[in-house]
Amino acid sequence: MRAGRKTVMGKLKFAIYWGAACGGCDVAVVDTHEKLLDIAAAADILFWPVAMDFKYHDVEEMADKNIDVCLFSGAVRNSENEHIAKLLRAKSKVMVAFGACAQLGGIPGLANEKRRQDILDFVYHGSPSTVSQKGIYPQEITSVPEGKLKLPKFYDAVMALDQAVEVDYYVPGCPPEPARILEVINAIVTGNLPPKGAVVGALDKALCDSCPRKREEKRVKAFYRPHEILFDPERCFLEQGLICLGPATRGGCSDPPRCIRSNMPCRGCYGPPPDITDQGAKMLSAVGSIIDSQDPEEIEKIIDGIADPLGTFYRFGLPASALRKKRFS
Amino acid sequence: MKTISIDPITRLEGHGKIEIFLNDQGNVENAYFQVPELRGFEVFCLGRPVEELPRIVPRICGV
Repeated sequence: MRAGRKTVMGKLKFAIYWGAACGGCDVAVVDTHEKLLDIAAAADILFWPVAMDFKYHDVEEMADKNIDVCLFSGAVRNSENEHIAKLLRAKSKVMVAFGACAQLGGIPGLANEKRRQDILDFVYHGSPSTVSQKGIYPQEITSVPEGKLKLPKFYDAVMALDQAVEVDYYVPGCPPEPARILEVINAIVTGNLPPKGAVVGALDKALCDSCPRKREEKRVKAFYRPHEILFDPERCFLEQGLICLGPATRGGCSDPPRCIRSNMPCRGCYGPPPDITDQGAKMLSAVGSIIDSQDPEEIEKIIDGIADPLGTFYRFGLPASALRKKRFS
Repeated sequence: MKTISIDPITRLEGHGKIEIFLNDQGNVENAYFQVPELRGFEVFCLGRPVEELPRIVPRICGV
């Protein structure tokens, strides 16, 4: 039997969890609106902290593989995220990395550019809005008169879910589009899932393929930030010198893509297109191919016009990239 | 001392837990609310182009 197929024994069992996340993926599930009732008709939800009152011990007490499908959103940032990821992996037949953070590390993964201690120092001591006269930092174990309190270990690096546990499927997006979520859940319920390891709920081509903007195959002499030029809302962003991650991003978020429709260049939340492992490297190659110069000095000057290439090309995928946790400073 | 752990706190955005310590009479001696999560937006937003922040900071909380 294929994993996830609805059996005559009854409804499927789902778990929905968040690691280092914002909850936007959970809200995207709720944003299926009245179709949420169809999900509830097809599956019992055994664990979903944002919406239902089940505790970790409820999951711990389950038999292994008791859950049919776990939708895990959020990155793995601390020892609690990792512990629960491992727990849910053991209890679930199918583990889905749900959303950009679980798939690639997501926006929290931008922290991989920083040192762990620098983050702790600024947040708990240095920031102008922090009052910490005694210089108190959170401790993994704190002794209080009544006993001990425990906090998870804050890791040196953010991980995508598959860097902590085995993942069966990936649903991209920050957050995944509700219409795509329904397609994925329908595929689960009817047992029509592709081979293990596949990206589901997206297209198998680059975002540019569904972009309605005009392309003229023009090359650029400079890159701009949006306030530096008046740009044409009908033309390709990149050909006007505005960084758009369309060539390095998987299509399928919506048609036409919602950010593009709102006159905003793509930032890559649907991850790399098929057969591309490193989204930023792909973007770098796209940028290289549109620069209108053969002179190394001029090329360098043009590239210097790109504000924050690391945080833009790897906006959603630094932990899953080849860079992962390089020392940047 | 007996403890009651409420872990995780549910039906809210974010991660939290509560540790309740009971004394010998079974009354609450003390209770602690803990937030076991940190992502560090305060630090990894520094130095980024200001026009990009409206696309980064919504991911602090998406609920």
